[in-house]
Amino acid sequence: MNMPQLAIEPWGNYSLALAASVECLHVRPWTHTCTTPEILKLGVEASPEFSCLSFKVTTGHFIKAAMEGVEYGVMVNSQGTCRLRYYRMLQQKLLKERGFNLFIFGLGYDGIKPPLIRHFDPTMNDFLRCCFRARLKVLTIDELETAAWTRRAVEQRPGDTTRVMNTALRDLDQARTVPEIAAFRKTIPARFNQIPVHADRRPLKVALLGEATILRNSFLNQNIEEVLGGLGVEVRNFFLLGEEMRNIFNIGLWSKNGRSALRRLAKPYLGTPVGGHALTSVAHTVRCAQEGWDGVIHVSPAGCMPEISVRPVLRKISQDMDIPVYECSFDEHTSQVGMITRLEAFVDVLTGRRRKKGL
Amino acid sequence: MKTAGYLGLDVGSISTNLVIVDAAGTVLHETYRRVGGSPIASVQSALLDAQAVLGESVQIAGVCTTGSGRNLIGAVVGADVVKNEISAHAHAAIHLHPEVQTIFEIGGQDSKVTLVRDGVVVDFAMNLVCAAGTGSFLDSQAIRLGITIPDLSERAAQSTAPTSIAGRCTVFAESDMIHKQQTGHRQEDILMGLCHAMVRNFLSNVCAGKEILAPVVLQGGVSANLGIRRAFSEILKIDPIIPKHNMVMGAYGAALIASKAGIRQTIFRGYDLCLRAIFTQSFGCTDCPNLCEIVEIVDAGRLISRSGGRCRKWEGDTTPSKEKIESK
Repeated sequence: MNMPQLAIEPWGNYSLALAASVECLHVRPWTHTCTTPEILKLGVEASPEFSCLSFKVTTGHFIKAAMEGVEYGVMVNSQGTCRLRYYRMLQQKLLKERGFNLFIFGLGYDGIKPPLIRHFDPTMNDFLRCCFRARLKVLTIDELETAAWTRRAVEQRPGDTTRVMNTALRDLDQARTVPEIAAFRKTIPARFNQIPVHADRRPLKVALLGEATILRNSFLNQNIEEVLGGLGVEVRNFFLLGEEMRNIFNIGLWSKNGRSALRRLAKPYLGTPVGGHALTSVAHTVRCAQEGWDGVIHVSPAGCMPEISVRPVLRKISQDMDIPVYECSFDEHTSQVGMITRLEAFVDVLTGRRRKKGL
Repeated sequence: MKTAGYLGLDVGSISTNLVIVDAAGTVLHETYRRVGGSPIASVQSALLDAQAVLGESVQIAGVCTTGSGRNLIGAVVGADVVKNEISAHAHAAIHLHPEVQTIFEIGGQDSKVTLVRDGVVVDFAMNLVCAAGTGSFLDSQAIRLGITIPDLSERAAQSTAPTSIAGRCTVFAESDMIHKQQTGHRQEDILMGLCHAMVRNFLSNVCAGKEILAPVVLQGGVSANLGIRRAFSEILKIDPIIPKHNMVMGAYGAALIASKAGIRQTIFRGYDLCLRAIFTQSFGCTDCPNLCEIVEIVDAGRLISRSGGRCRKWEGDTTPSKEKIESK
């Protein structure tokens, strides 16, 4: 059977769920959970120098896919002021210039039946089944990630949590049907509970905020979650796809992470939409300050318009509400050594702050 | 009776610094030396120096490494604590001057500002992608003019009418300096102009948006430069304090951290390590598409450490490479 292949842009571990979701279209998914140096190199060579890292990386993924003979690709469209909304068209041109025949579908606010679905036209039954499957996988991954963040900060042997996490993700990838995924989901607590921990530690709590591609791609963010976890910091990466989906479909109106709730929180600091993840960055920084988190790390690709716009705002919040905010920008030249040095120093600042306050 | 000594090693881009303190924090020995190509060899010779000076009277009871080579050297000498240089520098400055509110540290390739309030570090910043305004630039200018760094320092301080030099970028600063020299300005004035440009660059890039309050401590290799000191006091209108061990503050901070870490049994591998051939080698791991570069440290033919993989599976694994490959 010769099924067409569909390349999905990398979304960290969520790539597994997205891959499961397109199976209903009777296509074979092509995706990675994380970028490789080769893919980054392909993307950097093809892209304009001043485009953001997210553009370079997704372009690299599509080129690599095209080189492996993939016919289709899918890329999110975004509304608003972020340049992401034109990325798909530009990438299509770049691929064409290089002689590749990979057609990229946009996925966003394209009506009830987006072009992607129209093209492959699955039966309603198939479509719904895969939607449920993908949704359940996304929620399961949310749960896995959250468990890993808390465990890694207090693990006794460095690396245990990462090992458990990797096995779990591999098992999840094998789970195909809804009952299988549900059964897997029940095993999560047991899997993480077997990791020996320092139960008496009260780890620092740090929020990771900012641009989603960087937040989600452990190659691009220099493995920030694991580096911080290794320093004994409990992180929470504020890009959780489960939450984000609720917002997209607007059923999150009443949730505390719903758009309107976030807009209320950010109101004193951000009156107009800036696009990208600017609103979430501002609103969550305010919330973290209110809830007494130890600090916030704001990550973005160098040259990201929305995130750069909110940086002065975050500095203001940091002063007003007394919460340390550390900003880091990433591009293809970011050195891991320099990154780790700064993160270690930031953690030292937070530790000193806790001690001073007698917490 | 042997004194307990705590060893701090700061392995930076330009220099390797070594400080040994006693339990009370008094400096027993300090060395500042240029790294050259091999950090391991420079640490070995610095350690030999220390052993020759202190003899058998001091027993190393704890080791802390810092600087960009901290992990490598930590594995080579057997460090009990490995600390980042930002915290180590701040630690030393706060120890010597508890009232300090701002610390400027300008080293070989990096420059940083650390804000301290009530003896606690509250904020810091470090130059990101540009080395304008660091020691390397002064170095290259001194070489171009055929003078030594101490020479440059003294001449700049003697200037009576500093010229203005563009300091946004080292390459353009250099063209500007050549231009001034061709139009007939005195070398002293050009050098002082350069110091002004470097300090302005540091203040507007690294310190952007930071609240600079006196007392200010200036440290790091560049703090030895009289021209730079003068530029700081002229531009900021604050006389920076130059601490006692200004050239080796990173190592001093590291030594202090080691002395306070409550180390019961040090893992220091002994002065003997200076006498053995220790070298590093690397290979590309091909187990996954990440293609990480794994660095191995070999001490007298025996593999003592591996590091560098993203998945951490090489960490702590010291099976000889040959057996490792055969077992696959």
